[in-house]
Amino acid sequence: MLVQMTKIQIVGTLGELDKAVRSLHRAGVVQLEEKVEAVDPLVLDPGAAKQRDELALIIARLDALLTLMAKPSSPRGLAAEYDAQTLRPTADVIADVKSAMTQLDAPVQNLARRREELESDRVTLPRYAKTMRQLMPLAADMAPLRNYETVALLVERKSAGIIELIRQQLPSITQDQFELVSQDIDKDTTAALLVFPREYSSAIQTLLGREAITQVRLPEELANVPFNEALGKIEARLAAILRELENVNRELSALSTEWRVRLAVWSAVLQDRLQEVEVRSRFGATRYTFVIVGWMPSRGVAALRRTLEREVGDRILLEELPVTEHDREHAPVVLSNPGPAKPFEFLVKLMALPRYGTIDPTPIMAIFLPIFFGMILGDVGYAIVVLLGAIYLYRRAKPGGMRSLTLVIIYCSLWSIVFGFWYGEFFGELGEKWFGMHAYFPRGQMVQPLFAFSIALGIVQIGLGFGLGIYQALKLRQRHELLDRVAKVIALIGIFAMLASMTNFLPQEMFTPGFAITMVGTALLMYTLGWIGLLLAPIEILGTLGNILSYLRLAAIGLSSVYLAMVANELAGLFGNIIIGIIVGGLFHALNIALGILSPTIQSLRLHYVEFFQKFYEGGGEGFVPFKREGIL
Amino acid sequence: MDTAGLLAIGAGLAVGLAAIGTGMAQSRIGAAGAGAIAEKPELVGTMIVLLAIPETMVILGFAVAAIILFVK
Repeated sequence: MLVQMTKIQIVGTLGELDKAVRSLHRAGVVQLEEKVEAVDPLVLDPGAAKQRDELALIIARLDALLTLMAKPSSPRGLAAEYDAQTLRPTADVIADVKSAMTQLDAPVQNLARRREELESDRVTLPRYAKTMRQLMPLAADMAPLRNYETVALLVERKSAGIIELIRQQLPSITQDQFELVSQDIDKDTTAALLVFPREYSSAIQTLLGREAITQVRLPEELANVPFNEALGKIEARLAAILRELENVNRELSALSTEWRVRLAVWSAVLQDRLQEVEVRSRFGATRYTFVIVGWMPSRGVAALRRTLEREVGDRILLEELPVTEHDREHAPVVLSNPGPAKPFEFLVKLMALPRYGTIDPTPIMAIFLPIFFGMILGDVGYAIVVLLGAIYLYRRAKPGGMRSLTLVIIYCSLWSIVFGFWYGEFFGELGEKWFGMHAYFPRGQMVQPLFAFSIALGIVQIGLGFGLGIYQALKLRQRHELLDRVAKVIALIGIFAMLASMTNFLPQEMFTPGFAITMVGTALLMYTLGWIGLLLAPIEILGTLGNILSYLRLAAIGLSSVYLAMVANELAGLFGNIIIGIIVGGLFHALNIALGILSPTIQSLRLHYVEFFQKFYEGGGEGFVPFKREGIL
Repeated sequence: MDTAGLLAIGAGLAVGLAAIGTGMAQSRIGAAGAGAIAEKPELVGTMIVLLAIPETMVILGFAVAAIILFVK
């Protein structure tokens, strides 16, 4: 069912604006129109505009602070704290936040920055250490020399020739005062150590830069340490970093436990206040009054009126506005269905939200979809497996789409059990073989009646769809849709009369009247569609007939699953070895169950979306987004 | 010639050719649908519908095959 909505207008004196907005925000039942057409827009007074900017800034800073802090282990008391804080005046909350921030900003930011530096060192230092360790065998050959500089080079092995190139140029640069040793350190890399007097440093750097050779650069504090001491220092530093990191984290989490809940609550409360200021741009105003226009569920109007009287006083007036045709097009949509049908709302929304004023197909879908699914799967054994799986998933799923879907599957599998008993199927024909299950309707051998039954279901549902479509067209005064649907129904009745007389369900004489009725329907449809109808009407009517034939899939897909189960059992029996037989049979049945969830779901969904919905459904509804508090969590 | 054999061939053609047709249509729709859903995930419902439309062909093919084989 679509909830009936009322367009309301709230008028009050400007002095009551703050209280009114607060009250509406707390009630959270009204979706506000973007702007009020009849009067000028409300202009924010400078104080309010300033408050808006201040709030936005403070919230941004609060949130920045919150992201730096560690998550509290348990956010207990969050809701209670929110309820307490939300009653306080904005100015008091802002004052508290400001004093907290002067206290917190510097220490938290320093700690966070320190943590970042330490983390980055913790990642990079081991890399240096690794390279150093690779270079150690080379360094061992060199005596540490004062006033000499050591440069470590790493070159890809395939371009190791460059080291020889450098060796040729070095004598002229350093007047022969240098040492260069090189060695392959792993399968891709050649390392080299170059020692030279400090005075030639810049010339050497230029040379290395020109040849584009990567030097192993050490962190600044190690740059002037002799090469072979650096490794020890790096290791000591790493240990120190880990200790310091632990301290920093401990301090941060201490601050977090102390402050985080309060900060999060303040952020949420101020967010509410900011919304209360920002929303005013949607209001209208006269010289002394403000005007708010919005939509709300009709059943809540009286309650809201009482709330406003109690919280704001008698200088505010809530009235119901007349709804024009244009308004109705844009009224927000709320689906409201009784508990068992509720999960099917998800499937309807998957298609689109129905337009306001049209029929919500959810309850009908809740009845037909599980029956269709059950009719296709129709196997007690498979259904029990699917049921257990769905129950398991239902318990693990969070409320939302996934949970709705598992509930739908649970209903579906219950119907599958019912049909399974009717068909006498338990993992195919095993039920009959093992427990002597009696098949009341063995569908594998009763193809014709099964087809007839599916077509009959099709006629019922398509007929229902047309019925709803005609009712809706009458209600919404849609002349074109009304004629279109009536014409198709007439033509279908005629076609079925002809078919019935041809197959001797009706006397032979009924053929001519049937033909006449079909022609009347076709002519009416041609008239409705205009000139193009001369061509389209017969195609449309054949299409509608095709819609009904499409319900054959209820029989066909089910039969294919029966045959697959039969193959599984036959094949398992062929091996003559119990264990291999069980494995092969089990695999086939598993495949069949997987197909048995997927294809009945999609096929029955499709029958609803394509064949059934087309007859009446109008999508394009806009969801209901009330002006309400976000709350916390 | 043996009519049972001809009937079986006819039934096979009815399902097989219809399945090829459905497959060709679904491959195109599926590819376009995957692209569309990547851009607008809210189109999932519509895409399921579009993807399922050509299936009617193979279902009807199956129905015809079943009628050929079982309805005497």
